[in-house]
Amino acid sequence: MKWRVIPLEIHDAATAMALDEAASEAVRLGGPPTIRFYRWLPSAVSIGYFQSMEAEVNLDACRRLGVDQVRRRTGGGTVYHDHDGEITYSVIAPESFFGKDIIASYNLICGWIVEAFSQLGICAEFKPINDIVTQGKKISGNAQTRRNKVLLQHGTILYDLDVKKMFSVLRVSEEKISDKMIAAVEDRVTCVRKVSNATRDETYQALCEAFTKDKDFYEGEWTEKELAYTKELAKTKYSTRDWNFQR
Amino acid sequence: MGSASLKVSGGKMVNTKVELHNDSIISVQFTGDFFLHPEELIEVIESSLIGKRLDEDDLAQTINYVLQEHNAQLIGASGQDFARVIMEASQ
Repeated sequence: MKWRVIPLEIHDAATAMALDEAASEAVRLGGPPTIRFYRWLPSAVSIGYFQSMEAEVNLDACRRLGVDQVRRRTGGGTVYHDHDGEITYSVIAPESFFGKDIIASYNLICGWIVEAFSQLGICAEFKPINDIVTQGKKISGNAQTRRNKVLLQHGTILYDLDVKKMFSVLRVSEEKISDKMIAAVEDRVTCVRKVSNATRDETYQALCEAFTKDKDFYEGEWTEKELAYTKELAKTKYSTRDWNFQR
Repeated sequence: MGSASLKVSGGKMVNTKVELHNDSIISVQFTGDFFLHPEELIEVIESSLIGKRLDEDDLAQTINYVLQEHNAQLIGASGQDFARVIMEASQ
């Protein structure tokens, strides 16, 4: 079956997460496996399925800075999605495309990102469980769910990094946002801009090429049905307190 | 109500809040950045622990039984880690 590739879009947090679920439902009903790229506007914090919004996110700072919050349908950790600082992707396909072994499927999809980094001259590798590292530092985080025999993996590619801004919206005490702690994080996390001269557009192009390499694909759009379901999910699920503050 | 956190070596963070009565669990909730497939099973795991006494191995056995029964995969933590963090929260 041909892959559908949805080129880079910009969405708010609830819509971005709703599109992943609507595309998963479309695949369950026999629709095309889909690869999509997106950025977040406004910038947002997403928490993993099992995380507590109140424990992880500084909601006052989010309100002050106009940063959205959403809970994902995937596990994993808290991510600050800066509008200018990252590119996000999702892969939605029948589980049978990737097999039962979850770590092996992370390795396979993360391999496409590693390939894109390679095209940009960045030597990176998959680090189980769900990270990609270069020079020992994290440059991409990924998360996967499998429901109704459909695999959804989404993840971020860090293009630029502002640790201070990131910490301001996460629940880290003011005292901890010290120069020392910022330096400690910068020792563990990096971004494309720090290890390469590639522009964001070049990074995106490399991702597109690597994700579609050796695949039969077409550049597609969302169906009316997907968009209607997305609108419904964004309103009744991903923007509700019931969902976002469930744990 | 007790709470505790455990960073699993080579794995993820598991936090718990647990409420006890006479060394038996009345309520328990797990949070963290671990992965569980299927995700909704977390509520079944939490329910399965209600009424159980504080014995780490028994708790781990209960959790592992639920995981096996549902053919579930817990990634970045184990049933034993979940049991351990309950014991820490109970002290």
